[in-house]
Amino acid sequence: MPIYVDVSRCVGCRSCEVACQRVHSVTGHIRVGIQDDLASVPLVCHHCQEPTCAMACYSGALIHEGERTSFDLNKCTGCGLCTLACPFGIIHVQKVAQKCDLCSGREAPACVTTCPAQALSMMTYEEATTRLRSLAAAVVVRGGRA
Amino acid sequence: MPRSVPTICPYCGAGCGFYVNVEKGRATNIEYMADHPASEGALCSKANASLEVLYHPDRLLHPVKRSGDQLTRISWDEALEAAARGLAGTLRRFGPDAIGILSSSKCSNEENYLIQKLARLLGTRNVDNCARLCHAPSVVGLNRSLGAAGMTNPFADLANSRCIFVIGSNLAENHPVMSRWIHKARSKGAIVIVADPRRTPTSWMADHFLQLRPGTDVALINAMASVAIEQGLIDRQFLDLWTCGYQELKSSVKDCTPSWAEGITGVPAEDIVSAAQAYAASPASSILYSMGITQHTTGTDNVQALANLALICGQIGREGTGLLPLRGQNNVQGACDMGALAEFYPGYRRADDPSSIEHFRQAWSASDLPVGRGLTATEMIDAAADGRIRAMYIVGEDPVNSEPHGGHTITALESLDLLVVQDIFMTATASHADLVLPAAAWAEKEGTYTSTERRVQWSCRAVDPPGEARTDLQIVCSLGKRLGLPLDYPDASAVLAEINRLVPAYQGITRDRLGPGGLIWPCPSVNHPGTPILHSSGFKTADGRATLLPVHYRPPAEKPSERFPFTLTTGRIALHHNAGSMTRRSPSLMQRAPNLFVEINPADAARLQIEDGDDVEVSTARGRTRAAARTTGRVSRGVVFMPFHFPGTNILTPDARDSQAGIPEFKVAACNISRSD
Repeated sequence: MPIYVDVSRCVGCRSCEVACQRVHSVTGHIRVGIQDDLASVPLVCHHCQEPTCAMACYSGALIHEGERTSFDLNKCTGCGLCTLACPFGIIHVQKVAQKCDLCSGREAPACVTTCPAQALSMMTYEEATTRLRSLAAAVVVRGGRA
Repeated sequence: MPRSVPTICPYCGAGCGFYVNVEKGRATNIEYMADHPASEGALCSKANASLEVLYHPDRLLHPVKRSGDQLTRISWDEALEAAARGLAGTLRRFGPDAIGILSSSKCSNEENYLIQKLARLLGTRNVDNCARLCHAPSVVGLNRSLGAAGMTNPFADLANSRCIFVIGSNLAENHPVMSRWIHKARSKGAIVIVADPRRTPTSWMADHFLQLRPGTDVALINAMASVAIEQGLIDRQFLDLWTCGYQELKSSVKDCTPSWAEGITGVPAEDIVSAAQAYAASPASSILYSMGITQHTTGTDNVQALANLALICGQIGREGTGLLPLRGQNNVQGACDMGALAEFYPGYRRADDPSSIEHFRQAWSASDLPVGRGLTATEMIDAAADGRIRAMYIVGEDPVNSEPHGGHTITALESLDLLVVQDIFMTATASHADLVLPAAAWAEKEGTYTSTERRVQWSCRAVDPPGEARTDLQIVCSLGKRLGLPLDYPDASAVLAEINRLVPAYQGITRDRLGPGGLIWPCPSVNHPGTPILHSSGFKTADGRATLLPVHYRPPAEKPSERFPFTLTTGRIALHHNAGSMTRRSPSLMQRAPNLFVEINPADAARLQIEDGDDVEVSTARGRTRAAARTTGRVSRGVVFMPFHFPGTNILTPDARDSQAGIPEFKVAACNISRSD
């Protein structure tokens, strides 16, 4: 299940970055972009249904596997093609590709658990869209106020 | 097999818990505490990085003595003997008033209790903690208005609020977990009002954002009260039953019209009206505030103005309502509860009331205890400068970086006959000390901490302190014994048992009852479940009524002038904490927030030919500091902002203080800013 990002809740505290870095010891795989001091956006792997990074990866390090794009460190050559292929600018190379593994082995990814504002959550596509619909309905009831 | 040891976060006052994983005696990582009532497992960046501090190579490992510029390693025996001899000598030659003791809102309740007991058994009234620099006006103002100074409602109750008014608090950065509770309320339709001189991530959550000029809070709040009264949005029944002084209050805010307030605050009158309507008319409204309210010469007035607003609208004592002061440090609430304050003995027993003195004299089997209010933290620095205080014992505080007018603080500490500093790092203050005693950090000791929710939680010891470092409890007890004082406690539980006997609100908070989530005071007996919501059946005053105390707008102490045309305001950022001795040693935080910066409006910057990232000099009447310019619409024209986590900011801040609570006006200084080349 990928990580669902609710941009309207993110407060730009960067706790997810530090948590990810802590769990993966070298470098983090999530980054928070702060836009003109008006909003912030956590940038994290979408685990795309048709991942272009995996298509570009000639060594087979990045592979689409069920609901996620997995990464095999031993196969990565550090060529950086995935960086160019990712349409969201998320994957980057620091010796090898730095790629979200959804914290396999943990109950939930560290960034999701640690997020103080609950801007990150684990949801299926159906859960996420249902939630958005109910929020939109609540806005209508409140006279258009978000 | 790794052990998971439950601890309480050493940073802000939110009181989040987390586990420290221990393998072979070493903390290897942290793990979230999913069922924690304040955080539901969430942690901010600082807590995630906390182990970096625990194992930092700068940790103090053994006692150190300074002679001239020379630092010499000494044994604990020599260190304690030198500290005891120095304090006893000062006592003999200059009397108890020549000794000043700073306790620590980073230390546990038990340690704070012992430090104030040590001070008072020594005969000195001068004991205080850094609550003086953050919520002293809440202690004074709320005690006076409501009869109790704590946060009235717990975090989780915010989900029941229909309107949340945040003023002078950038909680999204400084207490990030609070944004979780605000979002919960918002998604149920609550209206959020944020009043702040800066556009912050907290204001991103706001339906109404009121960008007021620094130091004009009373004008804004009084105008909101005036709107509520004019429009009949007050709670008559509540006023009649539970308050006194309404007529005086009403006449005091009669002329505080929204257009009058617009002239002072810069907030459009119609925005003040709609915010007031939203707050007063909602079925349950809460107020969250922090240092933006308290760190002013009008700090106590600001707090009382907020209490007045809440009282006239009847927004207190129920679910979803209340006044929620957000405390800055993990145990600033507890340090105050334990009486590490110039004007209070434990349990807020007044130091100038002979009956409290008699109570503790008997309880401590002391022949005599000092009567009356002592010097506050800031007053101790003044007294050190002019020779009234000759010796200071500072535990876990860094006044050189945290007190205003830093240059003055250094001169004052240098002029002492004896300065003993107890800390985990060689802070700026410790580098001026004659004796430095190495202390244990949070995960290396056990005891209780009281969060801003009044939640008392037990934090366990996960690992041993490094080198020869000892817990503050051990150090204070051994120092006390060398001074001939009866301070003999085997562990924190033994001290807590004494606190249970002497502090009524903590009576039922015994060691064996403190499980996950702790207990919220007042908890007067061992069967009592704790009291999450205060004032639900009247107030803790003589007649059970709260007092409406009229306050009038007064401008801040410093106004912009030709020489210093800008208004400097200060505060915290998400990746650092207070004086920064811990977070500035945390690589993953420093990597993200490496240096001191100053925010300036792009229009002002353009006029001064300052570009983003330029090295600039900020100066006030007290001194000058260099910082990197950050041009941003977060601040209005004429206002600049600096975080106070780096040495430099508090060189600039003013000495001016609130006359009632003694807090310095960190939030308003007249300054100039220019390119440094």
